[in-house]
Amino acid sequence: MAEKISFTINGQPRSVEVEPDMMLIEVIRDVLDLTGTKHGCDNATCGTCMVILNGRAVKSCNTVITKAAGAEITTVEGLSKGMELHPVQTAIAESGAVQCGFCTPGIVIELVAMLDSKPNASEQELTNALNKHLCRCTGYEPIRDGALIAQKVVQEHAVAKA
Amino acid sequence: MEYKYVGKSYIRPDAISKVTGKAVYLDDIRLPGMLHAAILRPQYAHAKILSIDTSEAEKCPGVVKVVTGKGCKFHYGDNIRDLVPMADEKVHYIGEPVAAVVADTPKHAKDALSKIQVSYDPLPVYIDARQAMSEDAVIIHEDMEQYWTLPTLKVVPGTNIANVYQVRKGRAADGFDEAEVVLEGEFNYPFGSCAAIEPHGSIVWFKEDKTIEVWSSSICPFIVRDDLANSYGVPASDVRVHIPDIGGCFGYKSDITVEQTIAWIASFVPGRPVKWVSSREEDFTSTLIGHGIRTQMKIGAKKDGKLVALQVKVLHSSGAYADTGVNVTMAATHNSTGPYEFDHCELTGYTVYTNTTPVGAFRGYGHQEVHLAIERMMDMLARKLKMDPFALRSKNYLHEGSVNALGEHMWKFNGDVAAAAARVQEVVFGHDKPREDDTYYYGRGFAAVMKSPKGAPFSTKGCYMKMNTDGSVNINMGGAEVGQGLRTVVRQIAAEALKIAPEKVRVYTELDTQFSPYEWQTIGSMFTMQGGRAIVRAADKMIAVLKNTAAQVLKTDADYLEYDGEYVYLKADPYIKVAVTELARGYITENGITIGDLAQAVSDARLPRYAAPDKNGQGPLGVTYTFGAQGAEIRIEKKTGKILVDHFASVFDVGQVINPLQIRGSVLGGVNIGIGAALYEEVIFDENGKITNPQYFQYHVPTYKEMPKQTIEFLETPDPIGAFGARGIGEHSVLGPAPAILNAIYDATGVDFCEIPVTPEKMKKALEALKEYA
Repeated sequence: MAEKISFTINGQPRSVEVEPDMMLIEVIRDVLDLTGTKHGCDNATCGTCMVILNGRAVKSCNTVITKAAGAEITTVEGLSKGMELHPVQTAIAESGAVQCGFCTPGIVIELVAMLDSKPNASEQELTNALNKHLCRCTGYEPIRDGALIAQKVVQEHAVAKA
Repeated sequence: MEYKYVGKSYIRPDAISKVTGKAVYLDDIRLPGMLHAAILRPQYAHAKILSIDTSEAEKCPGVVKVVTGKGCKFHYGDNIRDLVPMADEKVHYIGEPVAAVVADTPKHAKDALSKIQVSYDPLPVYIDARQAMSEDAVIIHEDMEQYWTLPTLKVVPGTNIANVYQVRKGRAADGFDEAEVVLEGEFNYPFGSCAAIEPHGSIVWFKEDKTIEVWSSSICPFIVRDDLANSYGVPASDVRVHIPDIGGCFGYKSDITVEQTIAWIASFVPGRPVKWVSSREEDFTSTLIGHGIRTQMKIGAKKDGKLVALQVKVLHSSGAYADTGVNVTMAATHNSTGPYEFDHCELTGYTVYTNTTPVGAFRGYGHQEVHLAIERMMDMLARKLKMDPFALRSKNYLHEGSVNALGEHMWKFNGDVAAAAARVQEVVFGHDKPREDDTYYYGRGFAAVMKSPKGAPFSTKGCYMKMNTDGSVNINMGGAEVGQGLRTVVRQIAAEALKIAPEKVRVYTELDTQFSPYEWQTIGSMFTMQGGRAIVRAADKMIAVLKNTAAQVLKTDADYLEYDGEYVYLKADPYIKVAVTELARGYITENGITIGDLAQAVSDARLPRYAAPDKNGQGPLGVTYTFGAQGAEIRIEKKTGKILVDHFASVFDVGQVINPLQIRGSVLGGVNIGIGAALYEEVIFDENGKITNPQYFQYHVPTYKEMPKQTIEFLETPDPIGAFGARGIGEHSVLGPAPAILNAIYDATGVDFCEIPVTPEKMKKALEALKEYA
């Protein structure tokens, strides 16, 4: 039976009617029309469906919608402020990490979740995070380059704020 | 050469839309009244369909229509019309569409599938070409002799052989008589999947005004358009095909793949758009897979290492339909020489029907497969001749003055494979190899590579160009952006040709057969070459329009004028000039009377003299090749048999680098795909024709932690065809990894593998056998 579930997504409170067995990705893409979150596989392997749920990057294709009740969710659409991109978005765009772009939203979300909470993440931590994502185009090297550039910018922002 | 905009790195025009999640891919499209389809696949890979009962499925919630293949009498295809949109009396492979449900939601459509009852009478299943070619094999396509084919194709009646392609240069028998050393080998490049992160999908809408509108994750909107027009008896101009952003292709979104099936389904609910997006499993089972090529090779050489004769048999398990596989077999066959000259060639390729998913292009059209054979054979032959493998190769490289298997003369401007090889030798073999230790064996391997173009003689790329009154330019072409970065290439070549800043060039986004210029399909590493030439031609025409208008304004002759991007001026006195912004829509004189033409141009470009094969299988392919060399440094873990690629080097002679950042990215990714094929990837069919690993967690695509350190360099011997000297590079980087890594495995352990992927289990087993033997 359909239930009403409320959460905040990209800063906006939303209440939606859902079937309780629906996955978060279906609600994000098909109910809320936020199509930036991509569907690449059906079993949480490729990582392109990642969103930030209560500060943690999670795969929305295997997150049951009921887990989103009362949560704060950020999708790739929620990262830029108007024309101003998140430093991760800028770094990934400029490092050559974008080819077909289909894995890109998941990778951007992963890095934002990691660097916003842990600007000094070690290279091993970044490697472990990025290893959750499949990319068929880039050979990963430009993604690593973009991650390291983004980290530097995020760290500088943190210093500037402090 | 130094250019102003070519040869520099610019950020892709689509980078921002992709990092913000705003790029629109097929599954992101929503249309009013859209319905959703789900497709039933068979339980057997080869069977007669006895009956289909759809009555229970029709009663399921949300179901609008249940569709079967009954009554579908047309076949389709671009090379061999052997395809059907949905099985009718028989299924030929495990991924074939048998029936479909159209419903209000994807979930309702999927839920109803299990209510469709189908009974089958199973037939024998052939996975491998050798089984399907056996004398007592059941015929998979009983009516294959009736299929329309391209006139150059040769079906073998009464067999499962869809086509035999033969290349004859010189006389192989004489060559082998002349040879002092003969070496034979057999190499297998098994089935693989392009496995792009975006699965295939289509939307088809049969409209009440008898037009058809289509959206698809395809790189060939014009093939889709013409094919649907032919099947449904409407003018091609009444079929409109849109191509949104594409999330990776690597080959399997070329040719017509899923569109005819979705059109067949949609034709039962006219007036409503029908969307279908494949699951990851269906992307493996029911689109196109790659490879499936076994290469039997015999080389004859002189004692001093001079190659004289090559005999090759390419056995291609091409799958249940051969329309897309036949070009792969042919390119594999005539490129099986690798980058070497043989005076005598007898090369035969068999495209064979099997009960597997149809094979299509996979980054290199057969080149990966035969390079595994020729480049392993060169190392083995060097051993037999007791020669240095680099010396053996350099003695035989195609170079200025040599003639390739197709009878094409090679010139200096075709590129320098010897120089590329020398550079890879330096960076991979120029230092001492680590010594074997308790944990690892260490090895190094090499491969030289060559790739021919692949297309059709009529294959051309169109370009529409228009200048606006502020001097900015819009360019519209038919090339599909799959991630390879062609929009950046268009922008940079146009900027260079028009002498304006790249920021003033806006490149098209989606393709739409209603607006886009014609392009056959964006395949074969041809866009930068052919498309680039088309841009230069359009730019020249548009500049001529500007000059003709300026000639009237400046009251002189057009050939006295020069153009510099900002002004058209008199060469003899550059003070006499008119701004291009005043010429773009014709020149408006003082009293408003306007003279001259709109600044716009149309052009296209084919490869010069690209021909169909003659009776010897020869015929020029546009005389453009990209040569290169690749090398691997590996470690093999003794305990597990796991192979780690520590360093991989690639050097290609690309004529002219257009964008250093992008070309490096292309090679980085291509090498990764090649390493995947060498070590991890195989689409595995069981004896019943079922794919046992149709998911990413089962089919091992290389991961972040598996990326090697890469050295990537380019030589620039300018090409006379491509714009500013540039040649193709899209597919080439995938050709060398498998042979280079297998040669490195031999170097490390003395084990000769002739088949990929070399998984840890296979490696470990070989090491254990080696120990027992010692």
